[in-house]
Amino acid sequence: MSRGRLAKYSLWQFRDFVMEKGISIIIIGLLWGYLQLLPFRQSFSPEMTPDLITRLVTLLAGSLVSIAVLIALNGIISTDRKMGYYRFMFAKPVSPVRYYGQLFVVHLVGLLSGMVLLAGVFFFVAGRFNVWNLVLYTSLIYIALGGIGFFISAASKYDWVTLAAVWVGARILRSLYGNGDDWKSKAVELLPPVHKVDSVASSMIATGSAPAGDVVWLIGYGALFFVLGLMVLQRRSLAA
Amino acid sequence: MIEFRNVGKIYRSLLGTSVKAVEEFSLHVNEGEIFGIAGPNGAGKSTLIAMLLGYLRPTSGNVEIAGLGARAYVERHGIGYLSELIAINPKWRADRALVRFATLAGIPESQVASHVDKVITLLGLGEHREKKIKALSKGNLQRLGLAQALLREERILILDEPTHGLDPVWTQKFRDIVEGLRRPDRTIIIASHNLDELQRLADRVAIIDHGRLQRVVSTGFDNARESLTRFRIVIASGHESLDEVFPGAEPAGKGEYTVTVRSIRELNTALADLIARGALVSSVVPERSVLEQQFREAVGETK
Repeated sequence: MSRGRLAKYSLWQFRDFVMEKGISIIIIGLLWGYLQLLPFRQSFSPEMTPDLITRLVTLLAGSLVSIAVLIALNGIISTDRKMGYYRFMFAKPVSPVRYYGQLFVVHLVGLLSGMVLLAGVFFFVAGRFNVWNLVLYTSLIYIALGGIGFFISAASKYDWVTLAAVWVGARILRSLYGNGDDWKSKAVELLPPVHKVDSVASSMIATGSAPAGDVVWLIGYGALFFVLGLMVLQRRSLAA
Repeated sequence: MIEFRNVGKIYRSLLGTSVKAVEEFSLHVNEGEIFGIAGPNGAGKSTLIAMLLGYLRPTSGNVEIAGLGARAYVERHGIGYLSELIAINPKWRADRALVRFATLAGIPESQVASHVDKVITLLGLGEHREKKIKALSKGNLQRLGLAQALLREERILILDEPTHGLDPVWTQKFRDIVEGLRRPDRTIIIASHNLDELQRLADRVAIIDHGRLQRVVSTGFDNARESLTRFRIVIASGHESLDEVFPGAEPAGKGEYTVTVRSIRELNTALADLIARGALVSSVVPERSVLEQQFREAVGETK
């Protein structure tokens, strides 16, 4: 019963995503593409080989996908708490755990739709590249980064800032201590696997595949935090 | 139907300070009852309601609805809830917000439109249905909040400060609506600062202060009660007899006097005497309702 009504409500959730986040992602993506891709295209126009285009898309996607995921996840749970929207929604026979679990999936679908649209534009402007590989990469980063974002949003009101700080902080700490042999380098292994993103991006967008260990590590880390986020939702008071 | 068992709620801050919002609170609300919750600001009303909806977990004790934990009941059956703060996304359109809530409430798709139209008509929101939430006035927003609570035939309704922001016409209409919602299998809880409203609507009222249940008051006039009670009497003519019948009557202007009696019997005997002496009495009302009197006693403001 609850699943049926939630499935119907997913259309409203998708609509909200498009209006509140999707349009922003498309605008930022187009601006980003315009600023980065066009100068390259003008400079290399006669020699825009498929390899060069793929490298360009990899360069673009590496940053754009992370930013798009941050936008997509911003306030996914915390906004309803901060603004008090949960009061009417969850007086209805609806489980917050299922509601937000579904919202996470709806945001993934919305994000992928947006990326396909952007990829289509880049395809025509820049040249041929494998759109499917970009979709795969976006899904992977959404699960890896989004899982952590989902957890932070369930636990904190300041999710966007915290997620950005965690992501950037993990990069900095890994670059400082990641190569040593002491306890610090072992400790940074527990941080989000941001260092694997770049290598996975170049390999996945170019070939559609990436080292299995890296992919499992990224997905596993995100999935674990997504489940932890669901547990926080189950345990933590909505009004807290 | 609703049971608070020795419920306590302590808010703790990260700095280690704590505030007891509710302490050792026990209460049983019967099925079919309209039950009021009254208390001064900060008494713990909102905390109690948040625990009843499962939005807050008690620090101690438990809250049950129909034998289920509060949150489990809400997730299984739903509750018609009007919160004190009407928080709906300001970008949504009023009628579409109701369609969304109807979908979440599990109203079959084929019936959503008719349910929405029904509550829009009931709450007089027809001309505002296409407006965005941010364009609604406080009163219209309050009516929209009530509309979403009434979308489905719920067995439990919780109305927190329901007439806040309503004009006198809609305040009266609201009372009629709530009276119309009374059913043997429906429990309605109203939390309000407005004692007059609770006196008119509720069967019983819990008076809380400092997070504790002070007393539960039945709102009917207790005819057998023997205590000093003040009444306001308006006399059209025959004022000269009043002092003899009601010694110590205090004039309040425009033919109105305040008198103090020990019982309803004493009041009636004195009134009969007054009328026999040729006075014309046009109105007799208690200076304070039973609830108001009890409330003042309970929160330590007895005159």
